[in-house]
Amino acid sequence: MNDDTPIMPGPQEEEPTAPTEPIEAASDEASTREQQPEGRGDRPRRLYRSSSNRVIAGVAGGLGDYFGVDPVIFRIGFALSILFGGLGLLAYLLLAVFVPTDGDPDAVQRVGGRLQGTGFWRAVGLVIIAILGIGVLFALAGGAAFAVALGWGVPTAILIIVIGALLALAAFRGGARWLIPPAVALAIGGGVAAAANLDFRGGIGERTYNPTSVASIPADGYRLGVGRLVVDLRDLNWQKHRVVNLKTSIGAGQSNVFVPKRVCVVATTHVGAGESEVTGDVNSGVDVNHSVGTGTKSTPRLILDSSVDMGQLRVINSDHASINTAGYGPGPLHTDTAPLRAAEAKACGGP
Amino acid sequence: MRFDPVSLASGVVIAALGALLLIDSAGGFHISLGWMAVVLTGAVGLIFLLSGLIRGNGGGDLEGD
Repeated sequence: MNDDTPIMPGPQEEEPTAPTEPIEAASDEASTREQQPEGRGDRPRRLYRSSSNRVIAGVAGGLGDYFGVDPVIFRIGFALSILFGGLGLLAYLLLAVFVPTDGDPDAVQRVGGRLQGTGFWRAVGLVIIAILGIGVLFALAGGAAFAVALGWGVPTAILIIVIGALLALAAFRGGARWLIPPAVALAIGGGVAAAANLDFRGGIGERTYNPTSVASIPADGYRLGVGRLVVDLRDLNWQKHRVVNLKTSIGAGQSNVFVPKRVCVVATTHVGAGESEVTGDVNSGVDVNHSVGTGTKSTPRLILDSSVDMGQLRVINSDHASINTAGYGPGPLHTDTAPLRAAEAKACGGP
Repeated sequence: MRFDPVSLASGVVIAALGALLLIDSAGGFHISLGWMAVVLTGAVGLIFLLSGLIRGNGGGDLEGD
């Protein structure tokens, strides 16, 4: 070919170049996306998960590409967000599911596609049904616990056995798996209530007792089913050699006993599940047994037998603390317990 | 008639939990909250495990039905 005449683009030769534009545009989408942040392309920039710069699902890599910053910053941000409520983790999961990759679709993207394919209102309906279903299960568990706490433990147990037997028999007629979740909910509610010795038969609400004489303290003590029990013994005549016996019991809630700080407290307490603060000694967990001042003969002395099935138990040896004082009312226990422990040591230390 | 082993196993587990609750409520013995948590978690885990293991098999057909 000797014809080296250069082909100059002329008006008639511009036309054939037009069809090549879409091919170029589609040939390397990634490079197009890289160019778009710099200039103002006709198409809006799209966020993609990175298929090349990824640790888990490429979300941080994609965000780094999109914003033009190091993806490590996003990775650190997502990791730190787990420590602060986990909202960043939720955001990561949503981005992983609903943001496409810049490469071949991965498993996460297929899940997202299926979710989008179900339709918005259908998804909302499924979520509502799931919430209602969980609510019904919680109601069944709570109902069983309430029944046991009201003293109907045996009938509740028989009901659970009957349901279990029916479920087993139904296995030979095709099964009844729908019965499993409600039966398990009943068993969990009843079992927890029985194990925690929940007893709601003492009534529900707030009870405040302020006895002014030892004779006015019931021999079987104070009892409450659910709520808050306050027994304030600071108006008693705590003469030098006085020894007072007291029992308190509560099913679920908060039990408070106030005594003057010069009174030595000998306490045996039990918390099924929750926390206790007895003259400054704090314990929490399941089956919390607490003994304070055992063996002392100091007077004046309070011999206390107190139990809370679920909740908080407080024995506060302070002349000024009130149920309305922060740390002694509803909410977290008082944090500065050193004065209470010092007062108990002083009151129980003498003869 | 199809036989569903998951329902059978779950029924037995739930009936056993009910028996445990019955003995506790009747005063036969008392199980602490900590041990009850272990028992309940184990029971639920067992049901999930059986359900997962038997998934796909879909049970079997009972002869004569």
